[in-house]
Amino acid sequence: MSDFEIMIDGQTVGASDGETVLTAAIRAGVSIPTLCHDPRLDPAAACRTCLVEVSGSGRLQPACAWKAQADMTVVTENPRIKRHRAVLLSMYLADHALDDEGLPVERPNGNQLREMVIKEGHAFDLVPVAAPRGNREDKNPYVQFNPDACILCARCTRYCDEVEAVSAISLAGRGSATTISTVAERSLLDTSCELCGGCIDVCPTGAMFEGKAPVHAPEAIEKVRSTCNFCGVGCQLDLNVLDGKVIKVTAPPPGTTVNDGNLCVKGRFAYDFVHHDDRLTTPLIRRDDGELHPCSWDEAISAAAAGLLAVKKNHGADALGFISSARCTVEENYLVQKMSRAAFGTNNCHQCAAT
Amino acid sequence: MEKKGSKRQAVLDALTGQGLSREAMARVAELTGVPEADVYGVGTFYTLLAEPGPRVCQGLSCKLAGGDALAEKLEAKGTVHRVSCLGQCDRAPVSLGENNRLDVAGPRGGISPDNPGLVMNLAGEDDPSYPALAWARKMGGEAVIDELEASGLQGRGGAGFPAHIKWRAVRAEAEPTKYVVCNADEGEPGTFKDREIMLRRPQLMLEALAIAAFVTGCEAIYIYVRGEFPEETDALKAALAKGGLEDFEFRFIEGHGAYICGEETALIESIEGRRGMPRLKPPYPTQQGLWGKPTLMNNVETLACVPDILLRGGARFLALGKTEPGTKLYCLSGHVNNPGVYELPLGASLNELVAAGGGFVGTPLAFSPGGASSGVLPMSLADEPLDFKSLAAHGSMLGSAGVVVLNDTVDMAWVAQVQAVFFEDESCGQCAPCRIGARLVRQALDRYLQSGNPDNLEHIEELAWEMTEGSICGLGMVAAEPAVTARRHFSDHFGVRP
Repeated sequence: MSDFEIMIDGQTVGASDGETVLTAAIRAGVSIPTLCHDPRLDPAAACRTCLVEVSGSGRLQPACAWKAQADMTVVTENPRIKRHRAVLLSMYLADHALDDEGLPVERPNGNQLREMVIKEGHAFDLVPVAAPRGNREDKNPYVQFNPDACILCARCTRYCDEVEAVSAISLAGRGSATTISTVAERSLLDTSCELCGGCIDVCPTGAMFEGKAPVHAPEAIEKVRSTCNFCGVGCQLDLNVLDGKVIKVTAPPPGTTVNDGNLCVKGRFAYDFVHHDDRLTTPLIRRDDGELHPCSWDEAISAAAAGLLAVKKNHGADALGFISSARCTVEENYLVQKMSRAAFGTNNCHQCAAT
Repeated sequence: MEKKGSKRQAVLDALTGQGLSREAMARVAELTGVPEADVYGVGTFYTLLAEPGPRVCQGLSCKLAGGDALAEKLEAKGTVHRVSCLGQCDRAPVSLGENNRLDVAGPRGGISPDNPGLVMNLAGEDDPSYPALAWARKMGGEAVIDELEASGLQGRGGAGFPAHIKWRAVRAEAEPTKYVVCNADEGEPGTFKDREIMLRRPQLMLEALAIAAFVTGCEAIYIYVRGEFPEETDALKAALAKGGLEDFEFRFIEGHGAYICGEETALIESIEGRRGMPRLKPPYPTQQGLWGKPTLMNNVETLACVPDILLRGGARFLALGKTEPGTKLYCLSGHVNNPGVYELPLGASLNELVAAGGGFVGTPLAFSPGGASSGVLPMSLADEPLDFKSLAAHGSMLGSAGVVVLNDTVDMAWVAQVQAVFFEDESCGQCAPCRIGARLVRQALDRYLQSGNPDNLEHIEELAWEMTEGSICGLGMVAAEPAVTARRHFSDHFGVRP
């Protein structure tokens, strides 16, 4: 349902009150480049890549923030906008780590600036500005920051504040020395950071990255959608698989799954167990020799049932206690207490997250 | 339950004198409820917080008067920060000591002689009975705004926006909570007129603020004074203490060393306890300003014109101007005999201004009509009116009327470089065209001055074009102007130091 119509590049597009030009354009299939935009965040209009012409304004205006209004005319492609993008991208290139071909470097999660320069082109090569942004040493095993790949779009800091309400990182400094910093440049381990890694997911240029994940071209990776098994919420995650191995976990795009692009520290980073040598792949039973031996699930469940019934027979039902896991769903927890109360006859049941 | 950061406004004051250590951040976070990293982000934005202590001015007028030698002398004695223009160009070269009070400075600059016919008449005496406020109360709010409209008063902060439109807009807002803010964060290089009003005629400005609050129905008046102006704050507080304005609530906010906070939305962010990064417009402050409420913000000089307009009529004010309404405080510094603040009819020419300021020193070559942001103009325009319209037609602007005169002993490329350093230092860093562009321009000029090779300046015009097109606020839009205009008008004196 639209409230009124606007014109984008000659195409009539329905739009609603309060909606931005970018939102209307996306719906109409008109492509406008963006770097700092994230539908979960208030618009910052800091990257300036989405500037377009809008009727009623002499200046170019950011599509990500400019509100659509009835009878507005928007132009997203013309010589002026092309020139703007080309010179702006030349500036970005002067402030970014480049590869041998002079393009923004490949980064672990891809680099949208690189893609944009390849698509839009740039005006001229400039001498690198070598901005004095410093570099924070951080020994945490998960979230790392490379200021040379940062475009200061502030998606990470805005995400940390507006979505996670953690504010472990902030824009710091001023002018060309502006950077992304923790308080007094401490390790993230020494801040309010919960290591959710959302800053990595929202970073368009891979400046925020997972320290332990190997660098690979995005196309070499197969993404396998799965459900996180660390708790009962059911967050969807994408296992990034290379040569049959999970090399990292990313969140599906915002707006597509229940977790809206978010993950927690466990879902995002605790995937080492998948290929770990110590991982159990069958149930084990401790036999008379005192050692654990692999067995089938039927055997394991029978042995557990026999053991529990023996305790009840010898010591009474209240000698038993059942504790279920926070990794279980509500339904599974319900079944555990049902088994405790109805099958074994004891109220000694608990769940590890129910403190 | 208190919201996260509900005492955010206290962040900047709490950070003052604390340094940026981990312990200080924890204390301020505890006190205000603002997250530690956020506190750190705010603290590192403001130079008086990030680099407290003695500072020496590196503005163009100070540099012309030996600012580099002064800096070296002070550095030999101890730590001193080289900083952007300190707003004392008439007393150049200057330095501030502890507590941001003047340390080294020349004698006070000149002002126009006492003349009751002038609007602000810096040499005159304040009238402690606040007659214009009494008159405004009698006239009523609509009539006050009508008088402002009749006067043609344009905002004196730099943009020249008609004052009555802002007043009317805020008065018309139905929202019951509104604010009046006085922008006394004077920081444009070459500008020091608001300073003189605060020191010499503080009651003019205070009276106008009270009138503004009465007319627009505002509940509180904020005065945001540049942190490097403690004496000016003292003068305002002393004037207020004399009594007469008890019906109004005045709140003083101290700046913390960031030129960009003179931009109205950045100033609002700063009052709210945030990094002084300009907001996207719309909404405009008259609609959603301080804490999202309708806010009337005026420059010190704009306000100081209001009492006279009410007492002697808008028509008189209008007629005082030469090409545009009213009189104007022109700041004059650089290569002139008597730098100072001169009140002349708006539209006076450079030659008329310099005549009031004792004449040129040496052979004049160039002038900057409205601060660093206005670039530089050739002496062929010395008889053109210094007003909003004419200067815009010459690709410049009146801005804050911080006029700096340069004689033929200077290299215009060096002038451009000094101004480029200023813009690079003062860019807030929020948007890429300004953050990267200001640094590119400064570095290109550096390389050119070192090598003499004009290839280094190859892309300056194109960078300037993009900075104007792509930047969020006015700082980025004009940051390359000194370089571009110096090249445009002074090819013979660019890169040449006679």
